[in-house]
Amino acid sequence: MLNADLTPKGVRGVSNNGKDLQKPGEQMFRISREQAVELSIPIVAVLLALLLGAFLILFIGRSPQEAYSALLQGAFGSKRDIAETLINVTPLIFTGLSVAFSFKCGLFNIGAEGQFIMGQIVAAWIGFQLTGLPTVIHMPLAFLLGAFAGGLWAALPGYLKAKLGVHEVINTIMMNYIALYFSHYLVMGVLKEPGPIPQTPPVVAAARLWKILPGTRLHFGLILALGAVWLVYYLLFKTTLGYEIRAVGINPHAARYGGINVSRDIIIAMSISGALSGAAGAVQALGVQFRFLDLFGFVGYGFDGIAVALLGRNHPFGVLIAATLFGTLARGAITMQSIAKIPKQIIGIIQATIVIIVAADEVLRRLLKSRSPGTQASVDAGEVERDGE
Amino acid sequence: MESNNLADITIYIALVVSTLRMATPLILAGLGGVFSERSGVVNIALEGIMLIAAFMGMLVSYFTNAPWLGVLAAVASGAAVAWLHAVICIKYKSNQVVSGTAINLFSVGFTGFMLRKVFEHAGQSPPVAKVADWTIPLIEKIPVVGAMIGKHTPFVYLSLIAVVISNFVLFKTKLGLRIRAVGEHPKAAETVGVDVFAIRYLCVLLSGALAGLAGASLSLGFLSQFRENMTGGRGFIALAAMIFGKWTPYGTLRACLLFGFADALQILSQTLGLTFIPRDFLLMAPYILTMAALAGVIGRSVPPAASGIPYERQK
Amino acid sequence: MSKSSKWAVIIVAVVIIIAVAVGLRKPKEEIAEVPPESLKAAMVTDVGGLGDESFNDAAYKGLKEAEEKLGFEITVVESKKMDDYEPNLRSLGDQDTDISWAIGFLLTDAVDTVASEYPDLKFGLIDSVVEQPNVASATFKEEEGSFLLGVIAAKMTKTGTVGFVGGMEVPVIEHFDAGFHAGVRAADPNVKVLRGYTGKFDDPAKGKEVALAQFNQGADIIFHASGACGLGVIEAAKEQGEGYWAMGVDSCQHHLAPDNVMSCMMKRVDVAVFDITERVKDETFEPTHYVFGLAENGVGTCDKTSDHVPEEILDEVEKYREMIVNGDIVVPASYTELEAFTPPAA
Repeated sequence: MLNADLTPKGVRGVSNNGKDLQKPGEQMFRISREQAVELSIPIVAVLLALLLGAFLILFIGRSPQEAYSALLQGAFGSKRDIAETLINVTPLIFTGLSVAFSFKCGLFNIGAEGQFIMGQIVAAWIGFQLTGLPTVIHMPLAFLLGAFAGGLWAALPGYLKAKLGVHEVINTIMMNYIALYFSHYLVMGVLKEPGPIPQTPPVVAAARLWKILPGTRLHFGLILALGAVWLVYYLLFKTTLGYEIRAVGINPHAARYGGINVSRDIIIAMSISGALSGAAGAVQALGVQFRFLDLFGFVGYGFDGIAVALLGRNHPFGVLIAATLFGTLARGAITMQSIAKIPKQIIGIIQATIVIIVAADEVLRRLLKSRSPGTQASVDAGEVERDGE
Repeated sequence: MESNNLADITIYIALVVSTLRMATPLILAGLGGVFSERSGVVNIALEGIMLIAAFMGMLVSYFTNAPWLGVLAAVASGAAVAWLHAVICIKYKSNQVVSGTAINLFSVGFTGFMLRKVFEHAGQSPPVAKVADWTIPLIEKIPVVGAMIGKHTPFVYLSLIAVVISNFVLFKTKLGLRIRAVGEHPKAAETVGVDVFAIRYLCVLLSGALAGLAGASLSLGFLSQFRENMTGGRGFIALAAMIFGKWTPYGTLRACLLFGFADALQILSQTLGLTFIPRDFLLMAPYILTMAALAGVIGRSVPPAASGIPYERQK
Repeated sequence: MSKSSKWAVIIVAVVIIIAVAVGLRKPKEEIAEVPPESLKAAMVTDVGGLGDESFNDAAYKGLKEAEEKLGFEITVVESKKMDDYEPNLRSLGDQDTDISWAIGFLLTDAVDTVASEYPDLKFGLIDSVVEQPNVASATFKEEEGSFLLGVIAAKMTKTGTVGFVGGMEVPVIEHFDAGFHAGVRAADPNVKVLRGYTGKFDDPAKGKEVALAQFNQGADIIFHASGACGLGVIEAAKEQGEGYWAMGVDSCQHHLAPDNVMSCMMKRVDVAVFDITERVKDETFEPTHYVFGLAENGVGTCDKTSDHVPEEILDEVEKYREMIVNGDIVVPASYTELEAFTPPAA
């Protein structure tokens, strides 16, 4: 038998599943001291991380002021800079939502990277293979099939988890590598453009995502990503399916006794999670690269998605904020290199520091508050099903 | 390409030797995962800890020219990073996956940054002294077996010894019983007087030390330098192997050997010119085999019941 | 929900305030700082980044030389992802970089797009071709240099078996592979060539394992074209000891294991970058496609080759070199060409 402390109570943070299960929308605008502390944590995290970054920059003998002004200039300095920042943010929103969605069902989709690759190559394939279709058909078709491919890629680990109990962490890791080599096989084989470069032919104009800001490469994918944020929010918190998925995430056994088809929900949740990562790949293929280029290794959007999801506390809106932050830093890293000549690793360290401080939010909470809150037990996202017998 | 004689014994020797070598870092890191999760703390930071340890090991070997000192430094730095993980997860009860992810992110930036700072060179460190191979006196003389296990980098032997010791500790000692109790029923364990926090700290530190050893096996055992991202996802594969092995040392060993074997087979097939299979599918083979083995044979894997759940001390 | 959106508002507000504050203050004072006479040269790496032991490092060497000898002000921008190529090049364009180098065929599209946006600036592209009035492209006949290494390997092997370790099977690596095979076949058709790919470019441990498998199957000389995996190939030769050899690639990797690196296939990306950058200074820049083969000294064997390879074999290599330069031998650059390749009677 399981003992009582497996049931989360007073849950908070990443695993605020319990709170979410209450009816949404009951929060008022009054900000209590406790809420003020909660709100300030991510801000303090960012500031502390930037401070650490400043020390590192000093350490290598450069000026932090110059570095950070280059960062900001690169991220927000002109219309085009802002557009580039948003282009960086877009796929992170998708992969962040993807990982968050799986966490909500108590699953750890570490395979966003592989699903991203499948989405990217399928979208590129549909994008160049079909010709003569009008944009209103071709563009959504390529996008949706890309997302579908990502969904399928995640459905298999979901199925194996639901039916055979094989831990999804193993299978999603394995399928990352399979996707990498499979995409290489395709892009060097049937999907290869003739010529010396390992890439597919370009996506035809009708399948390319609309540009939404003249003079920049900002594309419709951003709107799709924002749509996905809302969709995931709606799905999770306003539908029966979402309620079930969250219930499974909190306690699969209780959910099962409550009459929820846990197996079905696990497969569905993994598929949706995969589809979101696939959509990230599709958006890059149809909105940024306009083809699939051989990867030579993992791109990183999937792994960054894990950090974004966790930083955003697995809430769609939190993911949006976290993706914006990470995307901004990634964009700023470029100009920090080119203008201030700061090595790109600094940004990686800053990003990690932000996540670590948010992870260790209890430390801050204790510092900011006079006394610590009551009992807490978080359900770990990576750990899922517990057979108590 | 002409086909080789598959009856040639050297091929099989090579296969065993290669399997052992490739499994070694996975075994060490996987064992680290076993200890951590058995005590109830998820450690997905294995990858990052390995990378930092590989770097620190190289650094100390570079400055002291004493590779074993480097190994010690790797183990110590692995434990140090794990300590951070432990404090965040155990003392402050934060989400363990978040902390692990942050450490993984940090390790890539930190090692790349330090590499440039110390050596003013990107990509890789200069060659350093690595630990010398061990030869096992009598066994070395036995035909076939001697060629298979008679001479290796010490890490190969250390990893196998670590498996035996870990299994003994976990399943044959009082400490092991406590570790497992803390991972399954922390409250019950505390009731009978076990210090849940102390056990968890110990296990996470041990986990870091083992992952550190795994990192050292790369930069000071198989290679003699540090290369950015040289862990190449091995920490995650080790994590998968640990789950595959159902959180037991021998199970983890088997899973790592299977994975190493599949990889060795893949490389050998290429060397022998088995080109009727597209090369990309050969490269995929270890991953597909792992999935097939799991789906077909191993099936359900159940983590320690309290794994991932921060423990709140009872009054 | 409302909690998250409050975060959003606060963070975005803070960021924007700082951005505006800095943005308003900074740029004006900086314009005057740059002395007008110093020319700017820069490079954007592909995802391999600096330290790839391959073309990015070589290009950086060329750029460094341009800084030291020609007084260029240099900048390196490392790309983290493929999506970064375009903005990275643009950020150099925005700073009026006189010549921006794009390293690697993966940047082809990006150069094509960005070069037309900055018609007054110049761009250089390595390993691929873009035809634009302000772009110089440099490609290399890797197969020709690899051919010479194949000749050396075939002549030097004691076991009658040599090996090739590649990174991923892509056309540019195929050049090395095919050229090396052809060289071996030309020098001694009885020598067997083993072939293995690591599937990666950045995992030395994997490279070592593939090399050890080949040594075990009787190879005594292994040529690699696998980026940083090659560090492992060289390590494998070093560990096996006397009589086992690695052959390096792109730059001279002799220093990594002086007793076990027989020769290296030099791909002079540094020379290409330096020469074309110099042309920018001399105002003789031409937007053409430069091909660097043996004839142009763009590829070849490294100086350290003579440490281990005896005179008479070097003489023979020289003979092949001349035949290639004269066009008597057309070195195959792909597997299909390799199959059709018949070596001339030497």
